[in-house]
Amino acid sequence: MNIISLQNLTKNYDSDDIVVHAIRGIDLNVKQGEFTAIAGPSGSGKTTLLNLIGGLDSPTSGTIAVAGETIDAFSPKELSDLRLRKIGFIFQAYNLIPVLSALENVEYVALLQGIEKAERTERAVQILKDVGLGDMLHRLPNELSGGQQQRVAVARAIVTEPELILADEPTANLDQATGASLLDIMHDMNRSKKITFLFSTHDPMVMERAERLVNLRDGKIVSDKQKRKTKSQPKKSTRKRTSS
Amino acid sequence: MKILFQLGWRNLWRNKRRSLVVISSIAIGIFAMILSMGIMNGMNNQMVENTIKTSLGHIAIHRKGFQDDMKLTYHFTPNRRMIEVIEKDPRILAHAPRIKLQGMVRSSESSRGVMIVGIDPEKEKSVSNLFEYTLKDDGRFLERGDENAIMISQTTADKLNLIVGDKLVVMFQDREDEIVGIGLEIVGLFQSPIESFDKYVVFTTIRTLKETTGLNENISEITLVLKDKDRVDGVKGALREEINDGNLEILSWKDMAPNLVSAVRLFDTMMYFFFIIVFITVIFSVANTLVMAIMERFHEIGVMKCIGTRPSWIFNIVLFEALNLGFVGLFAGIIIGVPVNELLGFTGIDLSFYAESMRMFGTGSVIYPSIKPLDIIVATGIVLATTIIAAIYPAIKAARIKPLEALHYV
Repeated sequence: MNIISLQNLTKNYDSDDIVVHAIRGIDLNVKQGEFTAIAGPSGSGKTTLLNLIGGLDSPTSGTIAVAGETIDAFSPKELSDLRLRKIGFIFQAYNLIPVLSALENVEYVALLQGIEKAERTERAVQILKDVGLGDMLHRLPNELSGGQQQRVAVARAIVTEPELILADEPTANLDQATGASLLDIMHDMNRSKKITFLFSTHDPMVMERAERLVNLRDGKIVSDKQKRKTKSQPKKSTRKRTSS
Repeated sequence: MKILFQLGWRNLWRNKRRSLVVISSIAIGIFAMILSMGIMNGMNNQMVENTIKTSLGHIAIHRKGFQDDMKLTYHFTPNRRMIEVIEKDPRILAHAPRIKLQGMVRSSESSRGVMIVGIDPEKEKSVSNLFEYTLKDDGRFLERGDENAIMISQTTADKLNLIVGDKLVVMFQDREDEIVGIGLEIVGLFQSPIESFDKYVVFTTIRTLKETTGLNENISEITLVLKDKDRVDGVKGALREEINDGNLEILSWKDMAPNLVSAVRLFDTMMYFFFIIVFITVIFSVANTLVMAIMERFHEIGVMKCIGTRPSWIFNIVLFEALNLGFVGLFAGIIIGVPVNELLGFTGIDLSFYAESMRMFGTGSVIYPSIKPLDIIVATGIVLATTIIAAIYPAIKAARIKPLEALHYV
């Protein structure tokens, strides 16, 4: 089943009589459970494409279907509900809520969905343990390293088990080791929970680990390669990495 | 809701200095409001108390029509049943008879129109402060055995150029409407907190007036003082049921001094209007702080909307932040303002350098501030309204932030 289906998708930006063709007639289908990267140089339209799929922006023309729903004509409220219930976001800059602890940040999305306190705390604690932050539940974001914050962001995106996670350059601000560790976690989540991951990236490590690589240039898909499914990396102890 | 409140509370302390400045402004406003209310309440209470203790008492019993037209024709005889009912009521502290009539006092130099009040000197001590107002270093209070004695105010004595020991002529119409003039000796002077009272009232013994007016056993008024002023309506109602045969009017101090009641209400209302104006300025301070806070968190709010936070939640977070600002300021203002008020209520605020002005209002020169629970409720309501009004524009602005625009905002 296609979790994402784009047909002849176009997005133009008009500014002071200049029209920028950010996305030019893209057709793309992403199946459920894929671990896919969208790569390309800066300005190729990666982030714009993710924004359109995530309902943060609206297309100039074409159709977008996410998790079985055609969203190109959704109202802002419907898009907000879609983001809450079906899509998780991981940003380049972590973007945790600074006044909430790691646990509270992860619980927050579950709270938005109306999950009861006991259940959402249990889920959040488990997810944070899964990402190796079981002993840092009550730390504020400014008390965590970049890698740890991004793990909290991953946990937040995953806690309500959305159908799709959109990750916009999630390793861009991390060193290689930390980035690799984070990818391991996301790959594990992809395998164990069947959550579809769609990355935008120009990190070679992410491109290497992706099972499908879609290359964009000037708003068009120039290549779309399905690679061999990679075996999941052996589970490494995360204890040392928490000190990175 | 709890998380929204928590977010609002924690966001408040992200910029401690800025928040403390706004909280301080609210606290100072509340402190000033409580102190002003306390002083105004003190002045109002003293105005009322002084009026009650100089002349009105808590309740007065008259012949019907006397209050509107204080003539000697409106007299009555206090019967035994009436006195029994009064003395049996545990709420009534004391009672005293009076004769009141309009007349004139005349000295060799001048004359003036006055209210002549005949009192039982011993009983009068229980129903008014006239004994306390008597100037003890020059003269004395009236005594039951006095014949042809009078007490006048220092103000009247100055006006008529009289001193203790001098004689003056008191003129009035008796029961037969005949003009009567009697010579009385000034045995004492008094000075009350109420200037208008001093100007227009003189006192003699009730015996002197009974004899000279021909009233005999009749009187104009029985004045009652209660143990608790707040029970005046209940006691009035009970007396009306038990002793009113249709010929009497039984009035509370509120009935006898409606202008005083209106004045108290007017002062209170003016105070509230003043505070509303002051807090309008606080609205702009709070709104400005919130707008700055939102601009600083523009990106963060965008992220929150990206992950599914509804605009109504964003609105409520900002609202709670404003309410937290307001209530911390309110709390700080109250914990400083109330003890200061209580202390000043104990020591008093000496305004004797404005003594003459204070006598015009009838408050006395030392004011004892006091606040009522309603004052704290009003202060809370004003802060609540202020912060909500201040938060509306910033909260709407925050709720309308477009996620994509905010994500790119640096």
